[in-house]
Amino acid sequence: MALDSWSLVAIFEIVVVITTFPLLVFGWVMSAKGRNPIRDAPFESGQTRLGEARLRYMMQYYPYLIMFVALDVVAMFLFTWGLVFASLPVAQDYLFLVFLIVLVVPLGYALYLSGRRESW
Amino acid sequence: MQGLPAIQDIVNLAAKIITSRTFLEIVVFPGFLNVFVGAALLTWLERKVIARVQLRIGPLYAGMWGILQPIADGIKLLFKEMIFPELADAKLLMVCALGLMMIAAAPVVAIPFGDGLVIANMDVGLIYVFAAISLFPTLILLIGWGSNSKYSFIGGLRSLFQQVAYEIPMWLSVLGIVMLTGTLNLTDIVRAQEKLWFVVPQILGFVVFFAAVLAELERIPFDLPEAESELVMGWMTELTGAAFMVGFLAMYTKLYVMSALITALFLGGWSGPSILPQPVWFLLKTFLVATVIVIIRGAFPRVRVDILLRTGWTRLLILAFANVFVTAMLIWLGFGWFWRV
Repeated sequence: MALDSWSLVAIFEIVVVITTFPLLVFGWVMSAKGRNPIRDAPFESGQTRLGEARLRYMMQYYPYLIMFVALDVVAMFLFTWGLVFASLPVAQDYLFLVFLIVLVVPLGYALYLSGRRESW
Repeated sequence: MQGLPAIQDIVNLAAKIITSRTFLEIVVFPGFLNVFVGAALLTWLERKVIARVQLRIGPLYAGMWGILQPIADGIKLLFKEMIFPELADAKLLMVCALGLMMIAAAPVVAIPFGDGLVIANMDVGLIYVFAAISLFPTLILLIGWGSNSKYSFIGGLRSLFQQVAYEIPMWLSVLGIVMLTGTLNLTDIVRAQEKLWFVVPQILGFVVFFAAVLAELERIPFDLPEAESELVMGWMTELTGAAFMVGFLAMYTKLYVMSALITALFLGGWSGPSILPQPVWFLLKTFLVATVIVIIRGAFPRVRVDILLRTGWTRLLILAFANVFVTAMLIWLGFGWFWRV
């Protein structure tokens, strides 16, 4: 009986779940269930808790995340190019390297912009 | 008497499944038990090596050289009370800890521990491994949000930024190997290194990949998401008892799997003199890489968050692109045949 790769992955994950999940259930069943306002407070180094935890934090370095969205796709396509690189004619290699260089220029400008505090 | 042959058939079928090669591979050697025991051993190794770096002795009393310490820790954590803060989503935290374990162990399906000793010989093994690794930040952010604690949430946000920033250099540093071998199958990539390990022609890629792996593992010098002096334990602050054990073990599973990935991609995988069997060579190299990562934890300070991001996006990215150009030159100059599968 030959199984394909993805069903093997699924079986492996099922093995992980049926060996790890009982540990969590065991810990949940065995642990004490007493409730106490002091013990239930979130840990803040022993100080009295102030305000909510789910605040709106300042998303510093936000431009880096936007750069990720663009470069992620590019990196994925580069893998398909790398697979056939050695068998492509050299002229097409040049084309792709030109594409890479063209990519590096806006990347450098984005890095310059994301280093400035006012765009955070 | 009619029912007995059916029971016999079921027993036979069960015995056939349990003794089949696929089942043993999934459950015992390259599969689950290998990962679980390896991660537990790494927690011991880390405590022992860090202790030697700091001129201490480390775990000593549980078994020889304290090697049974992970079992003692596991039993202790299993019986501890699970305290979740008010308004925290306890079920979500437990499910996320379980999910971390699943994702951390997932790449081992595609990593070959010997010639043919791999659970699934995938054609897209490398892409599968990176896809599994890139699922981490989502779960970590969920844990940070679900804990209802400021430390956890800040740790989760930092983890998201860090892992996202270092994914691109990590992928691009491996592109050189894909160009040289022309395949994404990890078994074929290891076979291509029998003449010369990729750490020699791809030294730039190796450096970038190693730094990116340190950042993905959230270890010193890039351990900002769980900076002990600022954020207590980062996104793990409010995980307690069994949930903490599973989450903690997941991080060490990730360390083990990433060390195995470095071994397979750059250090020749199972190749070595035939006095030792292939899996032993692979495990030796894996534990050597893990030891180096642990010693780095003992020797270096933590970097600042803006330095971390700028280093990842400028220097590592430039080095990774340089590696791609160097590899392209290597192939144009006619050395490509050396590593073709």
